[in-house]
Amino acid sequence: MTHRPYTPWLFLAPGLVVCGLFVLFPFINMIVLAFTDASALGGGRFTGADNFVRMLQDPKFWAAARNSALYMAGVVPPLVLLPLLIAMLAQKVVPGIGIFRTAFFTPVIASTVVVGLIWTWLLDSRGLVNSVVEALGGTRIGFLTDSTLLLISSMVVTVWRGLGYYMVIYLAALANVPKDLHEAAMVDGAGPVRRFWSVTVPSLRPTMVLVAALSAVNGFRVFSEIYLLSGGTGGPGGASTTLVMLIQSVGRGLTGEVGYASALSVVLFVILLGLLLITLKLNRREDQL
Amino acid sequence: MKRRTFLAGLAAVPVAGCGLSGTSNTGTATNGQVTGEITFQTWSLKPKYTDYVNGVVDAFQKQHAGTTVKWVDQPADGYLQKVMADASAGSLPDVINVPPDLSFPLAKAGQLVNLDESLEEAKPEYLDNAWQAFEIPGKGGCYGFPWYLNTGPLFYNKALFTQAGLDPDKPPTNFKELEATALKLAEKKVAILGQTPSIADFGLYGVTLFKDGKFAFNEPKGVEFVETYKRMYDAGALIPEALTQNYTGAGAKFMAQQTAMNPGSAYDLGKFKTDAPSLYANIGITTPITNTGSANMFLHGVSVPKSSKNQATALAFGRFVTNAENQVKFAKLASIFPSTSKGGDDPYFTTEDGTDEARVRVAAAKQLKTAVNYTPVQFSDQMREALLQQLADAMLGKKSPKQALDDAVAECNRLLK
Repeated sequence: MTHRPYTPWLFLAPGLVVCGLFVLFPFINMIVLAFTDASALGGGRFTGADNFVRMLQDPKFWAAARNSALYMAGVVPPLVLLPLLIAMLAQKVVPGIGIFRTAFFTPVIASTVVVGLIWTWLLDSRGLVNSVVEALGGTRIGFLTDSTLLLISSMVVTVWRGLGYYMVIYLAALANVPKDLHEAAMVDGAGPVRRFWSVTVPSLRPTMVLVAALSAVNGFRVFSEIYLLSGGTGGPGGASTTLVMLIQSVGRGLTGEVGYASALSVVLFVILLGLLLITLKLNRREDQL
Repeated sequence: MKRRTFLAGLAAVPVAGCGLSGTSNTGTATNGQVTGEITFQTWSLKPKYTDYVNGVVDAFQKQHAGTTVKWVDQPADGYLQKVMADASAGSLPDVINVPPDLSFPLAKAGQLVNLDESLEEAKPEYLDNAWQAFEIPGKGGCYGFPWYLNTGPLFYNKALFTQAGLDPDKPPTNFKELEATALKLAEKKVAILGQTPSIADFGLYGVTLFKDGKFAFNEPKGVEFVETYKRMYDAGALIPEALTQNYTGAGAKFMAQQTAMNPGSAYDLGKFKTDAPSLYANIGITTPITNTGSANMFLHGVSVPKSSKNQATALAFGRFVTNAENQVKFAKLASIFPSTSKGGDDPYFTTEDGTDEARVRVAAAKQLKTAVNYTPVQFSDQMREALLQQLADAMLGKKSPKQALDDAVAECNRLLK
């Protein structure tokens, strides 16, 4: 069969148009705006690298970048390990396992706002958790009013929400681990722990790298959890503000500094790109081993 | 008192993209014929006030044959993004419902019709303080028809007062008494307030907020005010969440009976009755605390963008929606008050019938005659956030009250440019 040379492009056109309009154009627009002092009402003069120079001297930027990095460091290890352990339990074929799997996946599909509200009620100074703490004779803990605890509480929510999603990825990968490897290990006298470290983990290493990359990127650009738990304020004195929250805070509203917010977004993009490139390199190394 | 809208809370507003090019609005003549189609955008009035707004639209269309008003209601969530997107695209609706702090950046960008130039004769129809709320300070010009207003009393929880051994019929009447009451309540582990002071609270304390084109609330009186709050915070008279609380959050804490006092309005009283009956049973109502003699006032208005292709009709409709007759009807439905010079003398706002609602309504209507919108129109969301953050640092002792206010003022003045 023959076709005209432009036929494939006709099939691609709708996707390309949507991508161009809603992804590529805004992205290029953001990069251009990063070099202007544009406001939300348009316009803006070319200001060269002023926004980036300002960023280097802006303590809020450094604090937000530090918080984002801490957040990433806090959520990646539990999001790599816990879903794996849960997936190993969930892969067992026992009666009622469907309920178990569904329970872990529910937070993934739950509305972020609803999740945020539930956790706010739980962790509020008069919330359920503090009521239990008080009933046990303790003093109330400022989960949402202490900047460090607020970050940790948000991390807990992120991990709780991510467990189900990464569990599904691990379940798919576990199904591909050759059974004969386990059988051979068993013949050699390896117990369950030994088989986990010597068979399961090596077989899942590429998946673990993928989960680490995804959770690192999501952790670094965290917004909803911190925003909802802090009521949109970034905690007392804004001390728990992350980079994406700072971008929102700087650029929002009719009085927003869109130029500076765009410059912050460009920096965020570069950082995330760096993270992904590192992952890619790690993955390649895995393939070569 | 706290900044809030009274028919709908101002929602959190995430950043939205904006275009590369500015919008230039040459506009059309404002003195043309009142005919043709216009779009009227309101802020979260559906479904509760659908019949009312449709009635106003029908009456206008009947009065002006050949006109069609297309009513679009936007939910509170995302309202600002919608206005921002429309404003940057130069496609704002012909008549748009905005509070003064939203009309200010639009007017400053030259996007709104100046009513002082286009419809000067309308000015006497409105209360002076309401008309002034839509002016650009120092530059003149009015950029919105004042629409509904609200003010209100200070609510307090009599049960919490009694629990702390205080006389439930003697609420504080000035700031000194407020502090003394707060400290007594705190001794019994009862918090009095759910929020650090807003910019309007500084105004009520008598602090000079804005002077010679710059923010100036770091003056000694402002520092004294923050020191009062610091003493209250240290004693436990503010809930821990006060450092991060917004206007709706503090109201929710009062409804949950976690704080003993909160400013509010007749609208809130209705909400207590339906949503918090145990609070309503113990509600105390007193006059707002002010050092200036004037209570705080909140208001909404309607503006006409210069980009409207049918400015004459848009202006006529804006004036019609906000005329005394329509505002009084609306006020009776929504526990709000008219901003017109004539609407306030309706017996509904001057006669009590023995109910708490009527008592609050009549007192608020009286209060409105001298009330002031203390929040400067230049005070943007970013500035509100800067003040909140600096006050949190002051309360936590990370900074002195003076340093925190100096930093807040510096940031506000930087954002002002």
